[in-house]
Amino acid sequence: MANGGESFRGALEAALPVGIAVSADDRSESPLRQAIRRLRKSTTAVIGVVIVAALLLVALFADVLAPQSPIANDQTQTFARPSWDHPLGTDQLGRDMLSRVIHGTRISLLVGVSSVLLALFIGVPFGLIAGYYGGRVDSVVMRVMDLILAFPIYLLAIILMVIFTPTAGLIGTIKVTGAIAIVRIPIYARLVRGSVLSIKEKEYIESCRALGVRDPMILARHILPNCLAPIIVTTTLGIATSIIVEATLSFLGLGTQPPTPSWGWDLKANVAFIQANPWLSLFPGLAIFVTVLGFNLFGDGLRDALDPRLK
Amino acid sequence: MRTYILKRLVQIVPTVLMITFVVFVMMRSVPGDPVVSVLGDAYTEEDAIKAREAYGLDKPIVVQYFIWLGKLVQGDWGASILTGRPVLQDVMIRLPVTLELIVLSMFVALVIAVPAAIIGALRQNTWADYTATTAAMIGVSIPEFFIGVLLLLAFSIGLGGLLPSSGWVYLPGTCPSIVCSASLWGNTMHVLMPAFALGVGRAAILTRLLRASMLEVIRTEYVTTARAKGLGERPVVFKHALKNALIPTVTVMGLQVGFLIGGAIVVETLFAMPGLGTFGIDAIVARDYQQVQGFALITALAFVVINLLVDLTYTFLDPRIRYA
Repeated sequence: MANGGESFRGALEAALPVGIAVSADDRSESPLRQAIRRLRKSTTAVIGVVIVAALLLVALFADVLAPQSPIANDQTQTFARPSWDHPLGTDQLGRDMLSRVIHGTRISLLVGVSSVLLALFIGVPFGLIAGYYGGRVDSVVMRVMDLILAFPIYLLAIILMVIFTPTAGLIGTIKVTGAIAIVRIPIYARLVRGSVLSIKEKEYIESCRALGVRDPMILARHILPNCLAPIIVTTTLGIATSIIVEATLSFLGLGTQPPTPSWGWDLKANVAFIQANPWLSLFPGLAIFVTVLGFNLFGDGLRDALDPRLK
Repeated sequence: MRTYILKRLVQIVPTVLMITFVVFVMMRSVPGDPVVSVLGDAYTEEDAIKAREAYGLDKPIVVQYFIWLGKLVQGDWGASILTGRPVLQDVMIRLPVTLELIVLSMFVALVIAVPAAIIGALRQNTWADYTATTAAMIGVSIPEFFIGVLLLLAFSIGLGGLLPSSGWVYLPGTCPSIVCSASLWGNTMHVLMPAFALGVGRAAILTRLLRASMLEVIRTEYVTTARAKGLGERPVVFKHALKNALIPTVTVMGLQVGFLIGGAIVVETLFAMPGLGTFGIDAIVARDYQQVQGFALITALAFVVINLLVDLTYTFLDPRIRYA
């Protein structure tokens, strides 16, 4: 799949020709400030941030922005061509396409963001514990993670959705979120475990232990903050991937079910009428593309800004 | 080398067993009973019990799995619960379609990506580079079914039906029955759009990766040395730089196989192709246990074999890498 970014992170690290100049005042700035400053210098990252912010606003104010209800049928207005009343036309049930595309933003962003966050909140602690304690804990946790990773991701996601049985509305959306989160948990566990393995050998961790700081405190206050940069980058690019996975599941009929507006489903449903109404499939597809592009640009910019090895 | 390959081939077994076992257990936890759809309107509780016995569905799941496995090692992949057709036969009919799609899409990806990445890296920060990186960014952000829809709009609808929008014409010699059509020309016409739909995304990922590792490699000392000793630009780029830059790229392309399987399902669905992807998704949705097992088995095999091939490619790209 066109799975955006994170898979080639390894190869890209240390190779991108960003040529970020390090100015003299770097030392007086906090790392966060530095990152933000670098992010603002990158045109593509700024475009990404603008797209993502605009989409968030659309999702938030969908009820106000959409001219009509996305699920209101009108049998007298089926397959209307784009007009003032229906800027993007209507579908086979006479539903306003613009309203459906606007409301579709909610499902797409909700699933994209929450599935990645869910995977993060489960995967990161597993990675921390496995990396920090090592030994048997490590091998048990990582075996389970490898088991999930051994699956071709779509095979697993599709079977999970069949088990959950796709439904409409919020419950249906939660099911999709869960299925995508499960296939993404090992990505975080592996990533964090790798970072922890190197960080835990550092002297400041040893001195923490010598001072009698408890393990949970060391993990939360001293180790976790030091593996945040790759987590943030993976999360942003991961949202792009998750949005594509959600759209793909919807396209296969296994996402959030109608009448809830979902871009993948709308695209699939309208492909059947592509001969006579070519514009109908175009708009949901464009919406998916712009959303994924926004997160990919933002993620790429973040990676450049957060990875000090690129200096 | 031979011992290494043997060792790896042996390691394939537990992975494939594990994937097929997990799929087996998962499918049986899907709500609903395939026996209900087999019996249809004629459903009675008595018949259902008989049917379950006939298919061996009344036994514990683990026992069922070992029965399946036992038959498998004798070359029997079981028969579909819903159609009664042997699973192996169906898989073999559909495999060439998917193989053709995947091989051609990888070809499309290489033909686009290798020149784009080389030009991007050698002419870094010129308009040619910006064009390549922008196109690649757009490419990684479009799901393949949308590329497919755009192709449909352009070549099936826009250009007056230049390319067929759906269906399949088999390659001569792979036609599974007397009713299907087979011709090289018809096959080419049918496979072009699907192969591009699946290949473009891959091309974008490849371009980004390969450009980045090319940039890294052309700054190394051995490339400078090669140039200093008077070697022409062509051997420097292709023999010294490209070959080394391909190593991380091949790794990631191997990791992409999981996504490629999803891509094949989607593209085959969009273009209504009779391949393994549509076979798998139909089987999963219909809860045809035996067919799903066949699909899981062939997918798992493809997955591990490709990963093995990726590892073996390293020895070709970098002779210093040896497997003992």
